[in-house]
Amino acid sequence: MAIKFERVSFQYRGVDDKGYLALADINLSIAAQGEFITLIGETGSGKSTLAQHMNALLAPTEGRVHIFGVKLTSDKKKNRKQRLNPIRQRVGLVFQFPEYQLFEETVLKDIIFGPKNFGVPHEEALERAKKMIQIVGLDESYLERSPFNLSGGEKKRVSIAGILAMEPEILILDEPTSGLDPMGRNALLKVFYDIHEKLGKTVMIITHDMDTVYEYAKRVLVLREGALVYDGEPPGLFSRKHVEDWNLELPEILRIQRALEERFGIRLEKNPTSRKELIEALGEVVM
Amino acid sequence: MNMIDIENVSFAYSGKVEALKNVSLCVRKGEWVTILGHNGSGKSTLAKLIVGLLKPQTGTIRVDGVELSERTVYDIRKKVGIVFQNPDNQFVGVTVRDDIAFGLENLQIPREEMVERIERYAKRVDMYSYLNKEPQALSGGQKQRVAIAGILAMRTEAIIFDEATSMLDPDGRKRILSYMRKLRDEGVTVVTITHDMREAVQSDRIVVLKDGEVLKADKSENVLKDKETLEQSNLELLLPLEVLHGLEKKKSTNEELKEFLWQLSLNG
Repeated sequence: MAIKFERVSFQYRGVDDKGYLALADINLSIAAQGEFITLIGETGSGKSTLAQHMNALLAPTEGRVHIFGVKLTSDKKKNRKQRLNPIRQRVGLVFQFPEYQLFEETVLKDIIFGPKNFGVPHEEALERAKKMIQIVGLDESYLERSPFNLSGGEKKRVSIAGILAMEPEILILDEPTSGLDPMGRNALLKVFYDIHEKLGKTVMIITHDMDTVYEYAKRVLVLREGALVYDGEPPGLFSRKHVEDWNLELPEILRIQRALEERFGIRLEKNPTSRKELIEALGEVVM
Repeated sequence: MNMIDIENVSFAYSGKVEALKNVSLCVRKGEWVTILGHNGSGKSTLAKLIVGLLKPQTGTIRVDGVELSERTVYDIRKKVGIVFQNPDNQFVGVTVRDDIAFGLENLQIPREEMVERIERYAKRVDMYSYLNKEPQALSGGQKQRVAIAGILAMRTEAIIFDEATSMLDPDGRKRILSYMRKLRDEGVTVVTITHDMREAVQSDRIVVLKDGEVLKADKSENVLKDKETLEQSNLELLLPLEVLHGLEKKKSTNEELKEFLWQLSLNG
């Protein structure tokens, strides 16, 4: 396993000097390849804290985190002796507002900053920039533009290209689609799905959007008050019991499917997970 | 009587393409209007123009019949409050109490009445027990609720929500939506600026912007079902209405099912 959490807890000190438990006794494994995970939970449930443990930006106050063979514990001295830079290259983390982290004069300089920092030769960094700007759905002409004159969606794409240019094995994105319009969101989700499908990488997305969870994820993690309460496939998450106990919002597809079943007795043979599939499946039954 | 009148307004940020091109629209008193549009369609620019944070290059804006100018902008801000997208950028007080008080101090409301209003509107947004808390102790949704309480306390006649729910979790979003409904029921004029169809669904009228121009302005029902217009502005139909659209394309006559899908879209 590329990332392994063993009984991990994380406590931080608040402004009132009290200790707060942000993560509580978490056990978790993530493979270096082929996973598409969504991480959900209410505001303050510990999602971002968990993500920051995955590339050693934070170390546990109890338990152990293993990332590509490096072990992190509450022993700060030992942690400091570890080589953490390679981990940060192998596990790419895109923050919630990546657009605030753009700072260079041109998009190109911004994208090559990361790889050059990790020792990638200039020529290769340029090649990667050209490739990654296209993967995120922008063309090469963007490379010479100033990042500050881009729209919110474009800035997000540029910052994601910058992380991709480091060629991480695992890509973690903290609410990458919040604030984007529907088409922009769909386009970006497709980019992440392609990175997972075509490049075989593990992708983990932190989100509040249950439609994303239902349509894309193969695995979903649910945090509640710092505890990992669910780790499994999305369909199992939306059982009536979990939805009630954890106050989950139903994905639209499932909400409509269930409402039509309840009201009209319409039963679909397969459970659709995309808008298109739902409409097709209903088309066959209802017409 | 109109609360907001926008006539032939154009605006360009320096050295860039026009953000708004000859936009005209109105918001009647007591009406809930949604301004829908893609990222970069000019909808937030429009909000900033209405409260005088930006000045149009051409055209006029009237609020409650008064033309917006440097002379009238402060009076207009007493009539129209605005809640922005990022809760962190609009918390000005040291505590929740201070933050709600901020606008009231500007209005020179007497102390006793101020205290009464702060407590009343903190209760309205379920933040009463947080009055002495600092912003660090609050979630994004809670900060947004404090911002709303601050505006409610000023008793403005209209409130603009500029993508105020886009950074919130589902619970936070639903709460804000419930406040919008309540405000409309109380006769406050509400303008929501969003690309979230769930926020648009309960408003009275929808204006769709595309690339700085008004693409369509109509009763909500007509816009919500207009797949072509919505897709032109990077938006999508609510899923029940997408299903409904599919049924109608296949000339289904199941009126009961169609009505049920419409109701489902309203209760999303």
